Amino acid sequence: MKLRKVLALTLAAVMTMSLVACGGSTETTEAPATEEKTEAPAAEAETKEEAPAAEAEAEAPAGVPTYSQVVVGEDYTDLTAEIKWIHHKTDRAEDGTIDAMIAEFNKVYPNITVVPEAVTDYAEDSLLRLSTGDWGDIMFIPAVDKAELGNYFVALDSYENMDKEINFANQWEFGGQTYGVPYMAGAQGIVYNKAVFEAAGVTELPKTPDEFIAALQAIKDNTDAIPLYTNYAAGWTMGAWDAYIGTVSEGDNTYMNQKFAHDADPFADPGDGTGIYNLYKILYDAVANGLIEDDYTTTDWEGCKGMINRGEIGCMVLGSWAFVQMRDAGENGDDIGYMPFPMTVGGTQYVAAGGDYSFAINVNASDDNKTASMVFIKWMTEKSNWCYNEGGYTVDKDGQNPDMYSAFDGCTVLGDASAIAGEETLLNDMNAESELSFNAGGNAKVQRIVEAAATGSESFDDIMADWKAAWNDAQAYLEIEAN
Amino acid sequence: MAAMTKAPRAQKRTLGQWAKSRDGQKVFVMVAFMIVPLLLLFTFTYLPFAEMVGFSFYNMKYIGARKFVGLRNYARVFSRDDCFGALKLSLYYMGGSIVQLALSLYLATILSFKVKGGNIFKGFMFFPYLINGIAMGFMFKFFYTRGFVFDTVLQWCGFELENLPYWLKDQRINNVSLVATSVWRYFGQNMVLFIGAIMSVDSELYEAAMLDGANRFQQFKYIILPSIKTIIMLNVILSITGSLSAFEPSYVISSGANGTATYFVVMHEIAHTQQKVGLASAMAVVLLCIIFVATILQKLFFKYVFRSAEDEDFNATAKRDKKLARLAARKAGK
Repeated sequence: MKLRKVLALTLAAVMTMSLVACGGSTETTEAPATEEKTEAPAAEAETKEEAPAAEAEAEAPAGVPTYSQVVVGEDYTDLTAEIKWIHHKTDRAEDGTIDAMIAEFNKVYPNITVVPEAVTDYAEDSLLRLSTGDWGDIMFIPAVDKAELGNYFVALDSYENMDKEINFANQWEFGGQTYGVPYMAGAQGIVYNKAVFEAAGVTELPKTPDEFIAALQAIKDNTDAIPLYTNYAAGWTMGAWDAYIGTVSEGDNTYMNQKFAHDADPFADPGDGTGIYNLYKILYDAVANGLIEDDYTTTDWEGCKGMINRGEIGCMVLGSWAFVQMRDAGENGDDIGYMPFPMTVGGTQYVAAGGDYSFAINVNASDDNKTASMVFIKWMTEKSNWCYNEGGYTVDKDGQNPDMYSAFDGCTVLGDASAIAGEETLLNDMNAESELSFNAGGNAKVQRIVEAAATGSESFDDIMADWKAAWNDAQAYLEIEAN
Repeated sequence: MAAMTKAPRAQKRTLGQWAKSRDGQKVFVMVAFMIVPLLLLFTFTYLPFAEMVGFSFYNMKYIGARKFVGLRNYARVFSRDDCFGALKLSLYYMGGSIVQLALSLYLATILSFKVKGGNIFKGFMFFPYLINGIAMGFMFKFFYTRGFVFDTVLQWCGFELENLPYWLKDQRINNVSLVATSVWRYFGQNMVLFIGAIMSVDSELYEAAMLDGANRFQQFKYIILPSIKTIIMLNVILSITGSLSAFEPSYVISSGANGTATYFVVMHEIAHTQQKVGLASAMAVVLLCIIFVATILQKLFFKYVFRSAEDEDFNATAKRDKKLARLAARKAGK
């Protein structure tokens, strides 16, 4: 009897072990299934060859078409595949926008099933999933070094071809290949309430930091609105200030990716109201002069949308993507406006524009899924109108811009240029090493400016000196030539 | 292990005989029972931990190439201001945990006697522990917002808004505000643990004590406290180590800004924002060592403080026996 019990127990143990093993074996059983699938399109390709011969010939050798080869609405309409897409737009998943777009897509491509998954903590979660390799077919590229792109994602097309199709093709370009297409693009300015500015007697939009501070002061004196709402507590809203470095602050779209890392003293005051120094000085001065909310530690991101809509807030420093949310947050959507950042370099106001998160395709996906993903991405870019509806600056070269960008007339709109070949990872390395993390989640350093200005614990020059030291140490550690 | 040591000794038996024997079955049962939990423990606790210790010797990001740097990460942990500076905040949390333990012990003692509606009170006080830490963070963000819940309640009590501090903005008190939320959350749980321990005290002891004329406080001091010292010690150790690794209140309510970043929040920032995984791993290992040291120190402390009457008596008798033995020996020697 006892022996039986023992046997039963060992059996149970063996079975639990085999259960664990099962997790692995399902993958192996799946593999042949996908092979079968790939056989089917091969047959399809053959049938295609008969009809539009020239096109099919170009496609046949590669297996997966390049971005520019796909003609949306005509090619691959009979392709069958199931593709998984992980994205960060939880709000758009909830309000049904994503499902509606996929339904629209399926009208043209009925056999391509798109399974979207909205990830809440996208920036971190996606990186972890990426390292596993088995995350799906399409994702928005997280913070990856450009040199690593090829290990994780399919090259969509050569940069040359891509540049003819979309704006901001250089955003995820490495070694002459483009790996990502932004789902929308944004311009960097300031979202403001026109009615509040009018009530304060500010008739002309400020063009320099001094004019801007004067405008904020006027709002404080003449209205009940909070002149500048920092959104300090949310954190990432503070990091939004980094977006004005380079194109806006220096009037040079090569600064951010090519010169910044080599600059021995990027935080010096040039004395003419430009530069990174004066960019952050605006924030410091606004806080020091009491031109922000009373208690910045308890700001509420969701609440601020309604507040600016009702005219309780004068302006907020946020990218153009925020415009639509502010406009739709209440009944006074017409009051919301968008203006260029108040900084004039050599008589011109520059506006930085750039792609948001970019679609990219898993390099480990099957050829069929890669093709389906390519079609989906191109459809999303050209036909979905997502970018326009979000108030984005157009990604598609032939696309149309929303009206909100009217204040940008007369400004020079530039996208940041790519890094010099061989130096693609330089800025990332500098960001990580110096821990200032410009445009890479370095919220704490901007929050520090607010704290220092509010409590008087540090002068602005102290902070800039500190940043310079961190920057120079990182340059020394990484052995980067600084001048 | 057992199998290996036993097998050579019982050489006469064949393997089959051994498997049928009591010894062999013991081993089978042991292995069958242990393998699943041990496997899980190893896979999900020790393996990742060993990996992390390995990471701490590299200069690495989550993805991309790694570079071996030896102990440089550890040197950095000790040379940076923010790492050990953040540990100072743990003092706030330690202070909070003492308040929390005192409060929960007090309430547990009261509730363990017959109190009207005792179970309702227990339920209410335990409830905060069931709330998700993230939800709690959002709750308290609004709770502490200027002119919101807390200020309103205080105004009912006659405070003027102008005299009230900014609970999260004022750097002199914002950590206290955060610690208060953690006390609010965990004191109920401590209390329930204490009540459980107090219940196990033999009620005849109280009766006997009452007959001897002991009041409630004396009952607490001489009956309850010595009986539940183990659970008190456990709670203190858990609270102190917990305060060294405080994370949620600071991360969720103030996102570590405005001088509220605890060691864990700094570590999180370094690991995830700056992506210095090696450095963050080194910080984790250093924290582990600190917690080890703190736990050992507490053990020693309690050994000293809670030397119970029995132990002392036992020592005393042992000493006396030795003395008598020595005297006897001396006599015998003469």
